[in-house]
Amino acid sequence: MLFNSFGFGIFLIVVFVLYWFVLNRKLQQQNLLLLTASYFFYACWDWRFLLLLIFSTLLDYFTGLKMYQAKTHSLKTFWLWLSISVNLGFLGVFKYYNFFAASLAGLCASIGIHLSPFTLNVILPVGISFYTFHGLSYVIDVYKNRIKAERNFIDYSLFVSFFPLLVAGPIERATHLLPQVKTKREFNYQEAINGLRQILWGLFKKAVIADQCADYANMIFANSSHYPGSTLVLGAIFFAFQIYCDFSGYSDMALGIAKLFGFELLRNFAFPYFSRDMAEFWRRWHISLSSWFRDYLYIPLGGSKTGTWLKVRNTLIIFLVSGFWHGANWTFIIWGLLNALFILPSILLKTNRNHLEIAAKGKAMPTFTEFMQMGATFLQVIFTWIFFRADSVTQAFKYIGRIFSRSLFSIPQLDVNKAQLLEVIILILCFIIVEWQGRENQYAIEKLSWLRKRGYRLTFYYTLVVVIFLFTGKEQQFIYFQF
Amino acid sequence: MHRFLIKTISFVLMSCLLILAIALIPGYMVNKFSKFSVKKDNTIALFGHSHSECAYNDTLIPKLTNLSHSAESYFYTFQKVKKYLSQNPQITTVLIEFSNNQIDTKMDDWTWGYTYMSNMFPQYASFMSLADFELLAKHNSKYFMNCVGIAARTNFIKALSFNYDYTGKTGGYFKIEGSRPLPSNNPAGKIIKAASNKSAISTTNIQYLRKIIDYCNGMHKSVFLIRSPQHPLYEYRNNEAEFSRIRERYFSDIKFLDFNNFPLKNDDFADFGHLNFKGALKFSAYINQRIMNGMLNTVNTASLSQPDNKTVSGN
Repeated sequence: MLFNSFGFGIFLIVVFVLYWFVLNRKLQQQNLLLLTASYFFYACWDWRFLLLLIFSTLLDYFTGLKMYQAKTHSLKTFWLWLSISVNLGFLGVFKYYNFFAASLAGLCASIGIHLSPFTLNVILPVGISFYTFHGLSYVIDVYKNRIKAERNFIDYSLFVSFFPLLVAGPIERATHLLPQVKTKREFNYQEAINGLRQILWGLFKKAVIADQCADYANMIFANSSHYPGSTLVLGAIFFAFQIYCDFSGYSDMALGIAKLFGFELLRNFAFPYFSRDMAEFWRRWHISLSSWFRDYLYIPLGGSKTGTWLKVRNTLIIFLVSGFWHGANWTFIIWGLLNALFILPSILLKTNRNHLEIAAKGKAMPTFTEFMQMGATFLQVIFTWIFFRADSVTQAFKYIGRIFSRSLFSIPQLDVNKAQLLEVIILILCFIIVEWQGRENQYAIEKLSWLRKRGYRLTFYYTLVVVIFLFTGKEQQFIYFQF
Repeated sequence: MHRFLIKTISFVLMSCLLILAIALIPGYMVNKFSKFSVKKDNTIALFGHSHSECAYNDTLIPKLTNLSHSAESYFYTFQKVKKYLSQNPQITTVLIEFSNNQIDTKMDDWTWGYTYMSNMFPQYASFMSLADFELLAKHNSKYFMNCVGIAARTNFIKALSFNYDYTGKTGGYFKIEGSRPLPSNNPAGKIIKAASNKSAISTTNIQYLRKIIDYCNGMHKSVFLIRSPQHPLYEYRNNEAEFSRIRERYFSDIKFLDFNNFPLKNDDFADFGHLNFKGALKFSAYINQRIMNGMLNTVNTASLSQPDNKTVSGN
C-alpha cells in the first residue's frame, strides 16, 4: 500500500475518522487503533513479515525492561548486547547473508578455491532497516539512562510501528516520539492543515518529479553503454532529482500524515541540493539517519574530539557503515567511501561547520560564490549517485568512463518524445524555483510567503493538484523501501 | 475540527471539479475539432496492426490509404474507424487486417496492459464511449486512472496548441529494410500452444472487430477482412484451426481476402510476421493489380480466398 495509491487514501480517511471521532476520548484506545492500523498497513506489504516485526518489538520491549530492572551493570550490558546481536542478526540474515556468502565465494575463487555457498532465497522484509534502528535507538537510550524503559507494550509498539514512518522512516528516537505517544493529543487545526499541505507537496515531488525522472534515469542507466557522455550526465542528473524527490517526497507525506494524528516526526530533509559543501549536504540529507549514526556510532567512537587520524578513521567508518546500511552491494560501500573522501578535507581543515544556515538566508538570490559552491557540491553529489544507482561497480566505472570522454561535449541523445522531455525539464525548473523560495521553512510550501495574497496561494495549491493529476505516470515503488 | 473538515472537503470537491473540467473540456474540444483526413482520391481504407502496416506500401496502391498501426488492438482501431469514416465520405471500402495473432489473448494486453494502454488510450480517449471506459477500468483499474491523467494531459496540450490534426499520426505504411536471420525451424518454445484452446482467445478483440464491421455496415461501406502474408514458420499459424472456426462462426458474412500463403521468399520477410520493404514492394504491386482488376467488386468470396500462386518458403 503506497502512500500515493488510492487504497492508502481510503485507509487514511477511515483511520482518521475512527481516531478523532470514535476513539477520541481515551488515549489508550487511540494508540491501540494506530497500532492496529500500522500492523494492517504492514501486513498489506507482506503479512508473513509482520511476525518478524512483532518479534523484534517484543525483544526490544523486554530487553528494555530487563535493563531497567538489572541490578548490576554487567547484567544491563548483557541485555543490551543481546538485543543488539539479535536485531543485527536478523538484519544480517535477511539483508546481508547472501552478499557475504557471494563475496566470500568470489574471494576464494580469486585464489583458486571454488566454493558453492548456501544462499537464502528470501525477500527483504520491507522497512527492516528502519524499524531495527528504531528499536536499537530505544535500547541504547535505556542503557545510557537517557530514557526510562517503557512499561506499556501498546505504547512501545506504536513507537516502533507507527505506520507513517514504518517502512521508510524518518528513523525516530524514543526520546522524541515516545513522550508524544504517551501524551493526550488534541486536534490542532493549524497543524492538520499544515500536514495536508505537506502531504500535497510530498505527493507532487513523488508522483510528478520523481516518477517522471525515473523513466528517463532508468532508460539511460539500463542502456548506458549506448549513450554518449553528455546523455549519461543527463541520466545522473535525472537520478539525482528522482532520488531526492522520491525520498523527501515520501518523508514529507510521512510527516504530514503524522501531523494529522497530532504527532511531530523528525525532519528528514532540509533542501540538501542548496548545500555549499558536502558537510552541509550531509546535515541536510536523510537527517534522521545521519544523526542516528552521529549519536550512536560516531560520538561513541570519539567523534571529532580526537586526533586527526582517529577523526579520519571515524569518518570513514560512519560513511562505510552508512553505505552498507543502504544495501548489500559493493556499489553502496563505494558510494559511502566516496562521500567520506569528499567530506574529509572539510573535517580536517575544520571548515565542516562553515555553513550552518541555509544558503542566502534572508536574501532573494545567492552570491556568485555561493552559487558556484552549490554547483560544485551538486556535481560531487551526482557523481556519488552514479555508484548508488548502478547495478554493479563495473557498470558504475564504465558509466563514469563514458562520461569522461569526448562524447561529453556532444549533444545529448535520447530516443524519447522531445516534447515530453521538455515538459519534465520545465517541471524540474519550476520545482527548483519553489524549493529555493521556500528554503527557510520546514518544507518548500509551508508558508508560501512569496505569494502575498491568499488567492494566489489557493491558486498555487489547485495548480499543484492539477499538475499531479496530469503528470502522474506509472506508479513507481519508493526507492528507499528496498532498504 | 468542524472548520478543518469543511475546508478540506471544499478543497477536495473544488479539486475534483477542476480535474473534471481539465479532463472533459479539452477532451470535448479534441473530439469536436479533431481532423482525420484521407486524400480525396483514396476510396479504400486499410486498418490493422503491424502486419498490414508493413505489408501494404500505399504509395504503390493509388486508391488505398494504409491506416494500420503496430500493436493496435481492434479496441483502438474501432475508435479510429469511427472518426475516419465519419470525416471521409469518399471512403467506400474498408479492409481490416485479420490474422492469426488477432484472436489470441495477447490482444487483451494490447488493449488494457499498461504499456499499450498508456500509449494508445491518450490518443483515442476523446472518442470513446462510457462502455469503452468501463471495459478498460474493469480489466486494469490500477493503471486506468494513470492513463486518464496522461490522456487529459495529451488533450490539454492539443487544445492549448490548437493541434487537432491526427492525419499521419494514427498509422501508415512502415518501411523495414533487410531481414532478420530466419532459423530453419520455429523455436519450439515460441509456439503459442495455448492459442489452440478456447481459454487463450481474446473475446474482447473479437467483439470489437464485430463492432467495427457493424459500424462500417451502418455507414454503408463495403467491408473485407484481409490477411497479409505470414511466413510459413510464423508461430501464431499454429492456431489456424481455431482461427478458421472463429472466422466462420462470427464473420462468415464478411468476405475474407486471404494472402497468408502469398508466394514470397525468406528475404522478403523482416521476420516471421512482417514483410520488409522488398516483400512489401512485391505484395503491394500484386494487390494494386488485383484491385485494378476488380477484386473488391467481386462477389465470389471463394475465389478471393485463394492465392493464385503456390507458396515458396525456401531460399
